Amino acid sequence: MHRSRITLHVNGRPRELEVDHRWTLLRTLRDELDLTGSKRGCDRGECGACTVLLDGKPVYSCQLLALQVGDRAVQTVESLGSVDHLHPVQSAFLAMDGGQCGFCTPGFLMSAKALLDANPSPTDAEIRAALSGNICRCNAYGRILASVREAARLLSEA
Amino acid sequence: MAPSNTGSIGVSHPRRDLPEKLTGDAKYTADVRLPGMLHGAILRSPYPHARIAAVDASRAAALPGVHAVLTPFDAPEGRVAPDLPILDTKARFVGDEVAAVAAEDEDTARQALRLIDVTYEPLRFVTDPVEAMNPGAPSVHDPSAGSGQAPGNLVGGKPIALERGDVEEGFAQADRIFEDEFATQSHSGAALEPRAAVAAWEDDRLTVWKSSRGIHADRLSLSLSLGIPRENVRVVGPHMGAGYGNKDETRLSAITAILARRAGRPVKVELTREEEFVAGRHRHATTTKVRVGVTNDGTITAVHATTIMDTGAYLSSGPGVIRRAGQGALYLYRCANARYDGYLVYTNQPSAGSYRALGAPQGHFALESLVDRIAEELGIDPLDFRLKNHVGPEGQPGERVTPLNQVVDTQPVEGGVPFSSNGLRECLERGAAAIGWRERRAAPTDAGSTIRRGMGMSMFVYRGGPGGRSIARMRLEDDGSATLTTGIMDVGEGSLTVLAQVVAETLGVPYDRVRVVSGDTRLTPEAPITAGSTATFSGGLAAKRAAEQLRTRIVEAAASELGVVPDDLGIADGAVVDGVGRRMTLAQVAGLDPERPLEVEATVDPGSREYVVNSFGAHFAEVEVDTDTGAVSVVRFVAAHDSGRILNPNMAVNQVEGGVSQMLGFTLSEQMLTDARNGVTLNASFLEHKSPTILDSPPIEVIFADVVDPVGPFGAKALGEPPSVGVAPAIANAIYDAIGVRVRELPITPDVILNELTLKETE
Repeated sequence: MHRSRITLHVNGRPRELEVDHRWTLLRTLRDELDLTGSKRGCDRGECGACTVLLDGKPVYSCQLLALQVGDRAVQTVESLGSVDHLHPVQSAFLAMDGGQCGFCTPGFLMSAKALLDANPSPTDAEIRAALSGNICRCNAYGRILASVREAARLLSEA
Repeated sequence: MAPSNTGSIGVSHPRRDLPEKLTGDAKYTADVRLPGMLHGAILRSPYPHARIAAVDASRAAALPGVHAVLTPFDAPEGRVAPDLPILDTKARFVGDEVAAVAAEDEDTARQALRLIDVTYEPLRFVTDPVEAMNPGAPSVHDPSAGSGQAPGNLVGGKPIALERGDVEEGFAQADRIFEDEFATQSHSGAALEPRAAVAAWEDDRLTVWKSSRGIHADRLSLSLSLGIPRENVRVVGPHMGAGYGNKDETRLSAITAILARRAGRPVKVELTREEEFVAGRHRHATTTKVRVGVTNDGTITAVHATTIMDTGAYLSSGPGVIRRAGQGALYLYRCANARYDGYLVYTNQPSAGSYRALGAPQGHFALESLVDRIAEELGIDPLDFRLKNHVGPEGQPGERVTPLNQVVDTQPVEGGVPFSSNGLRECLERGAAAIGWRERRAAPTDAGSTIRRGMGMSMFVYRGGPGGRSIARMRLEDDGSATLTTGIMDVGEGSLTVLAQVVAETLGVPYDRVRVVSGDTRLTPEAPITAGSTATFSGGLAAKRAAEQLRTRIVEAAASELGVVPDDLGIADGAVVDGVGRRMTLAQVAGLDPERPLEVEATVDPGSREYVVNSFGAHFAEVEVDTDTGAVSVVRFVAAHDSGRILNPNMAVNQVEGGVSQMLGFTLSEQMLTDARNGVTLNASFLEHKSPTILDSPPIEVIFADVVDPVGPFGAKALGEPPSVGVAPAIANAIYDAIGVRVRELPITPDVILNELTLKETE
């Protein structure tokens, strides 16, 4: 199969690697760069568990080939805080119990971050619209909504 | 001294594992990667029913990069369940496992599948459970094949029949008898994490990582099916991308283990989303006929429900599901005469299995929809009818059957046994007040608008939490912290957080000084699977008992050192104290005798000999129906629950909101569809099996009854599954209130509403 050497700009670092032309960005992140926070829930652009930011905009990383990324900046959930130093969006999800099994959580966090970066004080309707491309099968939607409201509050105080 | 209160019970401690889930550090099975690991893939049957006459895998085996193949003709003969061989020479549904390969990467493995030549001999098939019971229907399982199945497709050869009193006598006492038939569809829990397994061998010892809700049960099953001693099997359960009752079977793990054995390298198999929909397990489709006798003053004299349930190609947890579908009919209303008949039937549909609350949502949809009609026709408010007839704290009328020295079943048939606690009336009253039930009136209809508003309700009963034997270990560490070791799996619902709270409270140490070890059969004692809403109750009782024993040991050790009697000592804030200012930190106590670590193990057989332990609740829905488009929108929902004392309020609210929202899918949109002509699943995707998104999820007000159960740990009862039981009938009854149409079949999609409205107009 065809392979090429590319440079991906992931979480602020250039990463040089050789990719098979068939590989999606999701597969490349997970299997080649060991960034397994982005999840493979469907691999067909339906569930949002693989959501990452591309130049700040949320995309399904399973719907993009690694080759197509080019120079655009990729941000995964690993770019947010660590367990000891959570990012405000993560702190809000922890305080408001914005997740259950956690499989969808990285995707929701990245969609929420993209929203709040662009719109620091969203209405509930705007939050719902921004997160409508992410499925949570535990249906923790009530707590997720509360988490994003709380994240907006935390960020406005920061 | 009484145990001190460390403020751990009733406190919303953050979910223990959430921080690592928020950073992406949490490892799920698909995230496990081992040196030299291969990737496996599974070939699935394109026929709903076929003999597999031959499998030629030589071309696949010859493909560069392929390291192992597995076919029914070279698979070990073990069974992963009584009716489920590791691989069989007969396929029973479209998607049934036929063969498997392991290769250097997933692409090569999938390419190799296309090179496996299978000779199928298609058989007659049946996809409808009623047809499957007809004489002459094709047998899904051969009676001769050691599956334990009697001739025909009715599981066990006869229905289960459960009766209290005499329903014929009860109907004879009735002034009026009401009867309706209801149907519910199969739908998938569709956990976001597709099933996955990783297997690695070291000499004769096998380690399996799998998405699991019961690592010890999985270990036993793998040991039996693969024919290796249990002590040579280790099962590790990483974080679980949820299961909702699913992920308790081991066929995938057994296949992965055999591939790894043959390849001499570790193997990982991840199902695709399509495979997860087709070959995962989904809720059993049912038809239920309910018959209720009442006197003119609205007193129930008899309840009789009959359910026919499609278990699909395999039994899985079907016997438990068919039983639970009858619990509402047998126990929700006070009545001397109740009967339930359950028919569990094999078909060539994809296999059903356990999904949140098993058969209870199906049974309650039928019962609570019919009760709504009865109340209306008797001219009694549906709330008043339920307040008049609901089962009370004293339990059902009748004679106790269970011997006095035996534990009472949590799904009883008999009367004569009181409940340990019963907050059903409080749920009805507080839920009704919260939604404004008494104040509701027909909304003024705007002539120009096609929107109609309505309100509906339901109530429910569910098993209260006593499950199988539970074991917990506790140890005081050198630094004065405490470690709880449990075999119970947290399947995403947060049970380990709650168990740590129980331990902290009992022991008298701060919550953050409790560590929990779990998820690995090598490290943990036996535990039942996380099922039937039993983890907090049963696991909690074991954890509490272990913490009590450790507390006694600590106090005795400190008393001996301080030269006082143990009764003078207590534990508070991580130190042993007496009433006169003497104090020993737990770290000091732990260091007293390095030869004799402070370690205990407690075993509990949960349950009550005196009481039926059940959870209860009442659900209220307000909906808008658009008569132009048929769309139903749930605008408000009130969920009032008696789950005993609430140990972690934030997580409990999340659990109830999530359960209610999840079941909006069951009620309004989700359905697994197969083509009756060929058994093929038609909608194995999130786009066409429509689950709720955040746009569909309404505001949900959660109310917990002020109940402290005398049997459960710190007064707690079951909470995980009950939220899913009352949703469908509450919404269906609200739809009736809005547009005067009784829908007796789920899901209530817009086309159903429009058809019903058209029928109504032509009547």
